[in-house]
Amino acid sequence: MSLFGSVNRMVTITINKNQYLAEEGEIFLLTALRLNIDIPHLCYEKALEPYGACRLCMVDVVTCGKTTMTPACTIKVHNGLEILTDTPEIIKHRRLLFELYLAEAPKSEVIREMAAKYGVTKTRFLKKIVHDDPLFGKCILCGLCVRVCNEIMGTSAINFINRGPYTVINTPFFEHNPDCAGCAACAQVCPTKAIVFEDSDAERIMQSWSGTAVPLATCSSCKKSYAPEKLMDKVLDKLDPAIIEELRTLCPECRRKYITRMEIGRIPRS
Amino acid sequence: MRIQTSEDLDSIRKKGLQKIQPGGIRIGVGTSSCGIAVGGMALYNLLDEIIQTKNLDISLVKTGCIGFCKEEPIVSVSIPGKALVLLRKVKPDDVERIISLALHGDVPSDRVLCTISDWDHITGNLVYGNEFDTFPEYGEIPFFAHQKKVILRDSGLINPEDIDEYIGIGGYFAAYKALTSMKPDAIIDEVKRSGLRGRGGAGFPAGLKWEITKKAPGEEKFIVCNADEGDPGAYMNRNEMESDPHMLLEGMLIGAYAMGVSEGLIYIRAEYPLAIERLMLALDQARTYGLLGKNIFNTGFDFDIRIATGAGAFVCGESTALAASIEGKTGRPRLRPPRLTEKGVFGKPTDLNNVETWCNVPVIIAKGALWYSSIGAKGNTGTKVFSLVGKVDNIGMVEVPLGTSLHSIIYDIGNGGALGKEVKAVQTGGPSGGCIPVRLFDTPVDFESLNQVGTMMGSGGLVVMDEDTNMVDIARYFINFASGESCGKCVPCREGLKHMLLILNRIVAGKGTRQDIELLRELAETVQKTSLCGLGQTAPNPVLTTMQYFKEEYDDLISPEA
Amino acid sequence: MDEKRLDEIIEKYPYPAGRTLGVLREIQIQERHIPMDTLKLVSEKLDLPLSELFALVTFYSFFSLKPVGEHLITVCMGTPCHVKGAEKILETLEEHLGLSGEVQDGKYLQTTPDNKFTVEIARCFGACSMAPVLHVDGELYGYVTPERIPDILEMYGWKR
Repeated sequence: MSLFGSVNRMVTITINKNQYLAEEGEIFLLTALRLNIDIPHLCYEKALEPYGACRLCMVDVVTCGKTTMTPACTIKVHNGLEILTDTPEIIKHRRLLFELYLAEAPKSEVIREMAAKYGVTKTRFLKKIVHDDPLFGKCILCGLCVRVCNEIMGTSAINFINRGPYTVINTPFFEHNPDCAGCAACAQVCPTKAIVFEDSDAERIMQSWSGTAVPLATCSSCKKSYAPEKLMDKVLDKLDPAIIEELRTLCPECRRKYITRMEIGRIPRS
Repeated sequence: MRIQTSEDLDSIRKKGLQKIQPGGIRIGVGTSSCGIAVGGMALYNLLDEIIQTKNLDISLVKTGCIGFCKEEPIVSVSIPGKALVLLRKVKPDDVERIISLALHGDVPSDRVLCTISDWDHITGNLVYGNEFDTFPEYGEIPFFAHQKKVILRDSGLINPEDIDEYIGIGGYFAAYKALTSMKPDAIIDEVKRSGLRGRGGAGFPAGLKWEITKKAPGEEKFIVCNADEGDPGAYMNRNEMESDPHMLLEGMLIGAYAMGVSEGLIYIRAEYPLAIERLMLALDQARTYGLLGKNIFNTGFDFDIRIATGAGAFVCGESTALAASIEGKTGRPRLRPPRLTEKGVFGKPTDLNNVETWCNVPVIIAKGALWYSSIGAKGNTGTKVFSLVGKVDNIGMVEVPLGTSLHSIIYDIGNGGALGKEVKAVQTGGPSGGCIPVRLFDTPVDFESLNQVGTMMGSGGLVVMDEDTNMVDIARYFINFASGESCGKCVPCREGLKHMLLILNRIVAGKGTRQDIELLRELAETVQKTSLCGLGQTAPNPVLTTMQYFKEEYDDLISPEA
Repeated sequence: MDEKRLDEIIEKYPYPAGRTLGVLREIQIQERHIPMDTLKLVSEKLDLPLSELFALVTFYSFFSLKPVGEHLITVCMGTPCHVKGAEKILETLEEHLGLSGEVQDGKYLQTTPDNKFTVEIARCFGACSMAPVLHVDGELYGYVTPERIPDILEMYGWKR
C-alpha cells in the first residue's frame, strides 16, 4: 500500500502494552504478523476481502478501559489503537476452537501442528469419521477455495453445498463441472492442503471435485501436454495481442527455447 | 383516482367510514391465518351464501385478528346504534341464527365474548353505541383490560383488504402531514425524540439509524422491512401484516421520505403466504391511489416498495444475511464493519427495520413524540406486541407498554398456566433468548432488564412452560434448532453447536457425566464469544440460562457413576 | 418445465432485488421440486453460475431436489408446538406411514414408497395459538393430537 500511490501516515499503536509504529488503515492482522507478533489465522487472504470464518485471529481491542473481542482481520490500524493478543480469556477460547478444529479435520497435519503450537494436542470432541471424503478429512470449510474460484478466477466451478453442520464444498450436483478451468488455484490457496488433483498425459483430474476432468493443452512444438486448455483460453484472452501467435501455443520449456533462439537471431523478430 | 390533496384524502376517509359504519348491519369474520385455520373462511363463505341468496342488506367483511387467538373463530356484529359485539368460537351451526338475530337487532348471547361501545383507533375514533349491557364490556375482559392497543389498534376491526377502511379511521394522514408539511430532518428528529427502539430484538434507536442512513454517502439507498420473523413461537409481525398491512406501508413511506430514499423492500419469509398476499393487495391499492409511485401527494417525491421472499432460513433474519438473500445469495452473514447503513443491499447504504418498528412510525407522526414517549418506561418508550403462547391459558397477541412485568402479562392477561398447571418458566426472545424462572417474573419487560437476567426481548415471542416441561429437553430443542439453522460459515457455531447437541442428547438420554456438563458450559461460552453473528452468539443462551436457573434438572439426569 | 413457462416466471421479476429466490420459489411451487435441467436453464437465462444456484437450492429449506409425493405434510416443530408434543405427532406420522425418520443433509424430507405422502418439518408457520399444528397441502390443522392423525390421513386417501 505504501509503495504505490499515496503514502499512508505512520501512527502509534499499542500491542500487549508495547508501543509500535504502524501504517494507518492497514489490516491489523497483517501489521501484527509483520511485527512478528503471533496471531493464529486460517481464512485470511490478502487478495480477498476479510471473511471471518476461522475465528482464530480474535484479539482484545481496548477502548476506554473496556475490552471487546474482535477478529484481527477486521481491525484497521488507527492512531491510539490498543490491542491485547494473549489474555487468559483469549487463550482459553483459542484452545477450545483448536479442539473443535482437531475434531473437524482429524487427518490434517497442518491443523495438528498449529494446534500443538498453541498447546492443544488432543480433543475432547468426537472426531469426524472420514470415509469416502473427497477432501480426506482435512477440510476446515474456510471457504478460500470457493472465494478464489468465484472472486479472483471468475470461474465459479465450486461452491458451498447445504448449510450448518452439513456444509460441504464441491461442484454442483457433485458432478464433473465443465465450468472448471483446471487452474488449481483452489489447491494452491487451501491452508490444509486438502484439495487433491492429478495430471495425466491428456487431462488434469480434480479428484476432490467429483473427478472433474479438464483436458490439457498440448504444445505445438514438443507435443507434450502442459496446462489445462480452458485455463490457457482464459489466460490468452487477457494477453497483449502484440504477443506473437507462435508463442501462444508453446509449453514453458519450448517457449524458453523459442525466445532464446529469437534473442540470438535464429528466428526473425516480427 | 389519485389522492393528491388533503381534500382527496378526506373524501376517501368519508368513503371508508361509510363502509365501516354503513348504517346497516355489518358482520366481520376474523380471517388471519389462525382464524382461517379454525374455520374462519368456512364461516365467511356460509354467511356470504345466506346473505346473497336471501338478498339481505348486511355488509360482510373479512377482518384481521383481534388478538384473542384462543377464542377464534371470532365474528364481530355491528348493529347500527348499538355496541359492537364480538362473538367467540363461532361454529358453522351458529351462522343462521347470527343473521336472524342480527336482523332483529340482537345477538346469540351464548357466543358473546364482549361488547365495544367506542374505539380509539389512535388516528381516529369510532363510536358504535351502547345497549347490550348484560354482556361484559371489552374493558372487563382481563385479557384485553391490561393491554394498550397502539399497533393492534385496527386489527380485527377493519378489513385489511380494503385501503378505504384504513384511510377511514385516519390512515395515511400522518404520511400526508409528513410529506407535505414536515422537513425530512424534522421527521427524523421526531422519531428520535419518541425514543422508538428497534422492535426486532436488538433495540437500536430507530431515529438514530435513520439519521446514519440519511448521512451515508451515496445517491442510491434502500430501506428494508425485516419481515422474516423466524423465531418459533413469534407471530406478531405476521398478524400485523395480515390484519393491518397499510400501517406498515405508511410507516415505510414516511421513513423513505425522511431518509430521501426511493426504493423500499419488504423481505418476508416464504412461510407466510397470506401475509404476502395481503401485502401485495395493499401495495396495489396504495399505488392506485397514488400513495406509492411517482410524485406522491404532488410533492415530487417518488417511492415504491417491492416484495422479496425468503426461502426457509432462520439465519436470514440477521441483517447482513438478509441483504445477501435479497441479492440472490445464500444467507451467510458478512463481517461488520461495514455496517448495513454503510454498505448493505447491492453495496448501497441500507436502513433495515423490523415490521413492528415501521408500524410505530405513523402514530409517532400523527400524535407526536411527546405522546409516544409518555407510554412505556424511560429509555423504553412505547408499546410492544408479544405472542403469548405455550402452556398458558389465554393464548394470543398481547400489546403492553414496555416496562410491564412478566407477571402481569402471564397472569393478569394470560391467566396463568393452562389446564390448571403451575407455570415454571417463560422463554423470551426465541432461540436467542433464555428461560426465566417464575421467581424472576417481576422483571419488567424492557431491553435492559431482560438482558440482565440472561435473556433478551427478541421479536416478542413469550413461550410459557409449566411443571411438566423438562428444561434440559428445552435446552436441547433450542440447540438442535440453532444448529440446523446455522449457516455453517464460522467454526464455533457450525462445530460448537454440533457438539453441544451431541452432549445434550447424551444428557437427556441419561448417559451424561459431570465432565459433559463442564464441557457443555465451556462450549457455550466459546460459541457465545467467538461466533461471527448473532445466531451463534446467542444460541447458547437457552443452555446457559437453564444451567443457571434449573441446575437441578441437569443434576437429576447425570449418571451417579460419573 | 418447458422453457416458455420459465421465461414467463422470469418476466415477473424485472428487478434484481429478490429475483433469484423469487424465480426458484415459483419453480419449486410448480414442479414440487427443482429439476436439474430447469436449474441449468435458469443458470443460462439469469447468467448465474450453476454452482451458485446449486448452493442456493441446498442452503434454503424451501427447496428440494427430489420431487415430493402426492400429498405434502409439513409438521411444525416450533417452540410452542414442541412444548405441546410436536415430536410425538411426528413419531405417530412416521409410524403410520412407515417412515424411518432419517434426516439427510440437514433436511427432513421423507416420502412413502408408494409416493403418496411426503413428510417434512418446518420451524414455525406462526399459528402458535393452535399448537401443535401441521399443514397438509397447504391446509392448516391445529390442536392436532396423535389420535387425530389417522383421521387426517384418511381424508387424503390413506388406508389404516
